[in-house]
Amino acid sequence: MMKTHDGVSSRARGTWSGVMAAGLAVALSAAPALAQDKPVAGEVKEGALKGKTLTFVSYGGIYQDGQIAALQDFVQKSGVRLLSDGPTEIAKVQAQVESGNVTWDVVDTADFPPYVHCGTLFQKLDMSKLDVSHIPKGQVGECSVPAMNYGVIIMYNKDKYKDNPPKDWKDFFDTAKFPGVRAIDGSGDPVPGLIEQAFIVDGGDVSKMTPADIGKGIAKIKALGPDTIFWKTGAESQQLAESGEADMIMMWTGRAMTAAKNGANYAPVWKNWLVVMDQITIPVGAKDTDAAYALINAYLGKKAQEVLTEKTSYSPINTEAKPKVDDFTAAYLTNTPERVAQGYQYNMPFWVKNYAAAGEKWTELMAGN
Amino acid sequence: MPAAPPAKGARKAPRFIAGPLWLTVPALVLLVAVVGYPLLIIVLRSFSEPAWGVQNYVWFFGTPVNLVVLQRTFEVSAWVTLACVISAYPYAYMMTVVGPAMRMLLILCVLVPFWVSGVVRTMAWVILLQDSGVINSLLKWAGLGTVRLIRTQLGVVIGMTQVLLPFMILPLYSVMRGIDLRLVQAARSLGARPSRAFLQVYLPLSLPGVYAGAIIVFILALGFYITPALLGGPRSVLLSTLMQNQVLSLLNWGRGGAMGVVLLVATFVLLALAAPLMRQRHKQGARR
Repeated sequence: MMKTHDGVSSRARGTWSGVMAAGLAVALSAAPALAQDKPVAGEVKEGALKGKTLTFVSYGGIYQDGQIAALQDFVQKSGVRLLSDGPTEIAKVQAQVESGNVTWDVVDTADFPPYVHCGTLFQKLDMSKLDVSHIPKGQVGECSVPAMNYGVIIMYNKDKYKDNPPKDWKDFFDTAKFPGVRAIDGSGDPVPGLIEQAFIVDGGDVSKMTPADIGKGIAKIKALGPDTIFWKTGAESQQLAESGEADMIMMWTGRAMTAAKNGANYAPVWKNWLVVMDQITIPVGAKDTDAAYALINAYLGKKAQEVLTEKTSYSPINTEAKPKVDDFTAAYLTNTPERVAQGYQYNMPFWVKNYAAAGEKWTELMAGN
Repeated sequence: MPAAPPAKGARKAPRFIAGPLWLTVPALVLLVAVVGYPLLIIVLRSFSEPAWGVQNYVWFFGTPVNLVVLQRTFEVSAWVTLACVISAYPYAYMMTVVGPAMRMLLILCVLVPFWVSGVVRTMAWVILLQDSGVINSLLKWAGLGTVRLIRTQLGVVIGMTQVLLPFMILPLYSVMRGIDLRLVQAARSLGARPSRAFLQVYLPLSLPGVYAGAIIVFILALGFYITPALLGGPRSVLLSTLMQNQVLSLLNWGRGGAMGVVLLVATFVLLALAAPLMRQRHKQGARR
């Protein structure tokens, strides 16, 4: 699974990387002696990691390729040998931490894990080693920084609903007014945003949500009926749209964009789209923590984030990033002021506290009991 | 052999036995290292996490969804095994009676899917079975309406049967190839009708192949993961999916381990119950 990426860097670098490198050289020559400088996102000292090896772990596919491309400047400048491995499995992180043999240095995880396993599987981050000043508000955790932003939206079949399309989650859960097959994310972990929306539609008040209310939300999802499709992978959700198998599909924005690009006659519902992100973490017991920090700090840079978005269509987590993307990708980016205003952020602390209970109930839903 | 002096034969015999036993060492080492040891860890963790005791087993048998899914896993596996026996038996028989060229073709038809990954074959079934898929398009075109195949237990059984079919055909074929067809002719010449000759002569002689294939298919089906995950809906989730959920998403190795141990023990019990039955019927068959 492992492949080294230091050899491909010259190919992956864009035309403007020369400009960037020149800029960095100026910045570095201006203050060559200040080794203890405050870190600046996207920058690393020339040759700082020569002879060192870092293993970056993520979910593979276009996404990880884009991340590796975003890190090429870092690889060039620091002299590090960058390996990439995956896909991310929290169980594998746990096995490495428990055996004391941690081979993963920087790990891209889903939304939850760094909050649920903060300090046990993932290190508490020393923010003096990172420049987090350009990360969108509220996204830096105790054990993680965001890897990118994306959203969960409802995609509906335009042929099916014609003049009367669904407008929000209320319509998604209203099978009487909006008949048709629903598809939801059944890829494994419970989806807190969906459960909260179901609970709200059911008349609940999220600010006063109790563990018992998790069951209420899940009951509402179950009430969608036996025809409901629980897709297992992003690719499957995309296939459901492209083949027209489901009429309303809960989808990740990246997959929704690709499905629309491939000709699926579906349109997005942006009201209360669920804000989600991947996280960047350092496992407990990682061999060279400082090198890992250097990688993350480079990853947070403006240019790295622009490359990431251009290669993957996920939204950048550096507010200064100005990626050049086509209209399709632009339509599904989640970091525009309009989208930010429409987004729905679920109550993370509540779900972290009740993670096990939510997992149990979610599993029962998935097993059709 | 009887010509050799008895003393020499006695000296030679143990060495002759010891040789082949030594040859099993590489396989044994591999089995102990990559199956035995991890299995031991799984059993240990199922009793030791999060604390020592049987809490994971209490949880397993106290949670209705687990029992429903356990029962469903055995049911689906039984249906798949039955479907495999029914479709593989005539196929394997044909392989023994056709000419060499045709036999080559039939063997190829069995083996080619064997070389294609199970995921790819399952995806092919998704395309065939889905609501807008090939089968439903044909049914619609023929004016027969559509039928829900994907995300149903039936869809899972169809997909698993196809993926597991080679494991039934190959043992059946290897047994059937050794059956002397003149025995059937002899039965016919003594006045047996074709059905009687088959039921009383051929079928009993082929049963070892049926048992071998059925056991392999049944056990493989119990642990199937990809096909039920892709072709099934919530009502056809099998135990492997629940286990995966416990370990990978809830990081509950103890409960995941307990589920594995329960499935393993249940399988052993079932095999132990079936074994004497098979031996007896086999003997009866041989006597006739």
